[in-house]
Amino acid sequence: MSRPLISVQNLTVRFRTDEGLVTAVDGASFELRDGEILGLVGESGSGKSVTAKSLMQLNAGNTSYGPESRIILRDDETGGEIDVLSLKKARDMKVIRGGSISMIFQEPMASFAPAITIGDQMVEQLLLHTSMTKRQASEFSIEMLQRVGISDASQRFAQYAFELSGGMRQRAMIAMALSTRPKLLIADEPTTALDVTIQAQVIDLMKDLVAEFGMAILFITHDLGVIAQTADRVAVMYLGEIVETGPVRQVIRAPAHPYTKGLLHALPRLDDLDATLTPVAGDIPSPLERPSGCVFHTRCPEIIAGRCEANLPEIASLGAGHDVACFAVSSPEETTA
Amino acid sequence: MVDTPHTSGTGNVIDVEAERKSKEAYFTAGQYALIWARFKKNRSAMAAGVILIILILMGITAPFLSPYDPNIAGRDADYQNGAPQIPKFWDENGFSFRPFLYTLERKRSAATNFRWVTEVNKDQRRYVQYFVKGWKFYILNIDLDLPGDTFDFRLKALPIDTHLFGMDKGNIHLFGTESAGKDIFSRTMFAIWTSLAVGTIGVFIGFVLALMIGGVSGYAGGWVDSILQMITDAVRTVPAIPLFMALAAMVPDEWSAQTRFFFISIILGLIGWPTLARRIRTHLLTERSQEYVLAAQLCGASAGHIIRRHLLPSFSSYIIVDLVISFPYMVLSETALSFIGLGLKDPVNSLGVLLQNVTKVDVLLNYQWYFIPAGFFMALVLAFVFVGDGLRDAADPYSGH
Amino acid sequence: MTGKPLITVRDLSVHFSIGGALLGQKNIVRAVNKVSLDITAGTFFGLVGESGSGKTTLGRALLKAVPISEGHVEYSDNGVHYDLNAMSARDLKEYRKRCQLIFQDPYAALSPRMTVRDIIAEPLEVMKLTNSREETDERVRAIATKCRLNLEHLRRYPHAFSGGQRQRISIARALVCNPRFLVADECVAALDVSIQADILNLLKSFQEEMGLTFLFISHDLSVVAHTCDRVAVMYLGQLVEVAETEKLFFSTRHPYTKALLSAIPLLDPDAKHKTIKLEGEIPSPTNPPSGCKFHTRCAFARDKCRAKEPALVVKGENHFVACHFADELMDENGQAGSA
Repeated sequence: MSRPLISVQNLTVRFRTDEGLVTAVDGASFELRDGEILGLVGESGSGKSVTAKSLMQLNAGNTSYGPESRIILRDDETGGEIDVLSLKKARDMKVIRGGSISMIFQEPMASFAPAITIGDQMVEQLLLHTSMTKRQASEFSIEMLQRVGISDASQRFAQYAFELSGGMRQRAMIAMALSTRPKLLIADEPTTALDVTIQAQVIDLMKDLVAEFGMAILFITHDLGVIAQTADRVAVMYLGEIVETGPVRQVIRAPAHPYTKGLLHALPRLDDLDATLTPVAGDIPSPLERPSGCVFHTRCPEIIAGRCEANLPEIASLGAGHDVACFAVSSPEETTA
Repeated sequence: MVDTPHTSGTGNVIDVEAERKSKEAYFTAGQYALIWARFKKNRSAMAAGVILIILILMGITAPFLSPYDPNIAGRDADYQNGAPQIPKFWDENGFSFRPFLYTLERKRSAATNFRWVTEVNKDQRRYVQYFVKGWKFYILNIDLDLPGDTFDFRLKALPIDTHLFGMDKGNIHLFGTESAGKDIFSRTMFAIWTSLAVGTIGVFIGFVLALMIGGVSGYAGGWVDSILQMITDAVRTVPAIPLFMALAAMVPDEWSAQTRFFFISIILGLIGWPTLARRIRTHLLTERSQEYVLAAQLCGASAGHIIRRHLLPSFSSYIIVDLVISFPYMVLSETALSFIGLGLKDPVNSLGVLLQNVTKVDVLLNYQWYFIPAGFFMALVLAFVFVGDGLRDAADPYSGH
Repeated sequence: MTGKPLITVRDLSVHFSIGGALLGQKNIVRAVNKVSLDITAGTFFGLVGESGSGKTTLGRALLKAVPISEGHVEYSDNGVHYDLNAMSARDLKEYRKRCQLIFQDPYAALSPRMTVRDIIAEPLEVMKLTNSREETDERVRAIATKCRLNLEHLRRYPHAFSGGQRQRISIARALVCNPRFLVADECVAALDVSIQADILNLLKSFQEEMGLTFLFISHDLSVVAHTCDRVAVMYLGQLVEVAETEKLFFSTRHPYTKALLSAIPLLDPDAKHKTIKLEGEIPSPTNPPSGCKFHTRCAFARDKCRAKEPALVVKGENHFVACHFADELMDENGQAGSA
């Protein structure tokens, strides 16, 4: 397939709050192809969750999108495209939400209604998006539960969310998300709330399912280790902007952006216990006080005085799809000693 | 590539400085400052607040505002059941800065079949005067009249006799008069005061009880909490109206209006405490399990310190909201009681008593101005409700986290 | 060896009864079950476990924030000696001056209605450690500077600060009374990676400068590996392995520890390490398995494991393991032994 499954162009998201207009995402652009796992990595305030929710227009009512923002979803039925951000009616969004795009969240307890059984919720989703009968939907749901590794699936089907453990709830949520065979699965911090041994199980499960179903995953997390083991490509976000994108091996082994380098040096690594942890200098600015020019300039060790505070960095391409937004990379000859 | 600097303001130096100041103000704002900032943004609540303050001031300055004594002593025997008299500034005889009214004359002649007829004399003007000396009102006026003679106590002191406005000749009745000739405007002003006073006492008593019971219940937890909650629920299930009726019927007739007034207030407070107690208990139970309370306990903080420094500030804003919201219920209860004859009675001035008089068909057909106090009453209750709602919305500035 | 350990724990158990207030059944949860360990003064002692392991409860029991059901805990430092089971109220007050807790959630640990200066000063005021407001202010400023907090920000309220800054305020509060022993309960778990390193370095610097002792509770093994000198691994309320950090990570003896280590996603995308997949879920602490609590998920479980609980025995230099078949397994995995 030459056309990407989903293409985000210049996404800018702003919220109107009591404290003013907050820019959560600023000019983010990336693409996702079929069967690809793209990791979206960032710390708090990076805007990764907001980006993910924008793909399904799930942001709150006080959101405004930038005038040049586009999210183009390839429509295989008509052969054309859908601009997700231009959809206004809930009816049109229905095709996207749960249909071609599904989402799983960090806190599975929050996404399962507490007073309805798991089975009822899965069946409801199937009835909404497919033409199955209720019986077919029930049987299919039980199969999906088995597929995600839940033993006694028919029993669990009739249980409520609070009766399942954290890991099992997460698996059930994956089952529910995948039952409509979406082309894109957005996983927003799916393993952050899980114990590390359960996390390993869930990640393996997701990799198996990708291989089987051939769908793409947008994997959002702050854990670079998980990305290293799971993703094909990674995009690093900082304060609403994508600072580096590229194949996982390249970005992790040879990071180009000072922020990515800083993140990797700050991580404790099991294969090098004596290395000192170097934190990234300074604090993440509050979203109300976004720095001018390159948003990272207030904490950057490679700052070029005069350029980085004033201007938005150009995007430099380092080959093989590895892109960096940094003056130090694109125009190093201007670096002051 | 376009070189567009990102700034959160307009880039103007003065704006940046002002923004920095406002951000610093936000960072150093204590709990109440944050609540006030949020409250200010709520337009309906602010408007209601202004109305509320005006009404409260009217109630407090009632003796000054009222041109005539609202009791039987100040009645106007010549103008009973009289319509409201609105002063004019202008008529065919010319303009006047000072508002005026016409004189009423009673005439009898052959032309009227020898019946007394009231005529308006447009040429004879009576002018409104300001800051007139009128009837005497005693600020300190205690008249305790308990059963028996031992505890009776009467005291009259601190008289005021200046009033905001009056007439050079005759009387002015802005809201008309009622059947005995008492000025409805004066009665309304005093009625606002009475209702506010009864409400305050009722809320205060309810609050003290609720604080003690709810406070102990929430702080102690365990079986103390269970028992106190059972008592609270038991009191809550008592139906209010029959209880009022029983208690009000118990009040001996010889008690003076004042004593009766206090008694009704106390009853209202005693009925109202369970709801507030439950709210206080819930707040305390939540706050008690906060981590910063544990941090203080790990330093060996005494219970008193924790209550003072952590628990009380955490729910004081909610308590204020609860108090403001329960106020109109007190006013409503007192009005309802008095309206059905179980609360305050004539000649006491309260909104309920004033409304008592409007139940006659005669009044409905002929003397509609008796309803004017109802408008004040609605304004008072609605103002409280809006302000209470606004406060409640503004009350938790930390819920976002 | 530096003599008597700062904290000595012997057969500590903490039980909670849940359910049934006045009538009804009482279920006993053994959050901590017969734990024994020694914490040497001036070291970083790591306590690792997943949910239900009891590590938080153990940390709080050492501070007497939860009641001790069975066992002994003793504190011994420079001639000062406390037995947590036999402490008078005055002893408890003194003990509190020496032992403090750093919380996990920087948003919940600070009272939103107090200024930062008041928050940090509170321990001094409650424990009456200073005589005047000026003295309090000076000590607050001193510790705030040490924690790299901007002194001008002391009059601000917590809502003005980010998670990392709040955690530094929390640490300043814990340190202002000059304690000797600190329990850091998952104190970097809620922080971003870049801030995490900052806080860890800060804690390390305090350990070196002021000779503090830390009990570092965490579920993140990589963080523990970097900061701690000695590590204990807990599972469902019991210790399964205790050793010096290097030994624990490179000469692992217990199957659970091995599985934990292999589950950590490594930063190298091509790293091939033997993953031990744990099947099944973590059992609930209210209904623990018989015998060895880990047997339901252990790939090497045999009949003896279902029947009998393994004792924590020493294998190698100061390396404790609770497993019936620790020797066999070590050979199976081909790890180089230590003694």
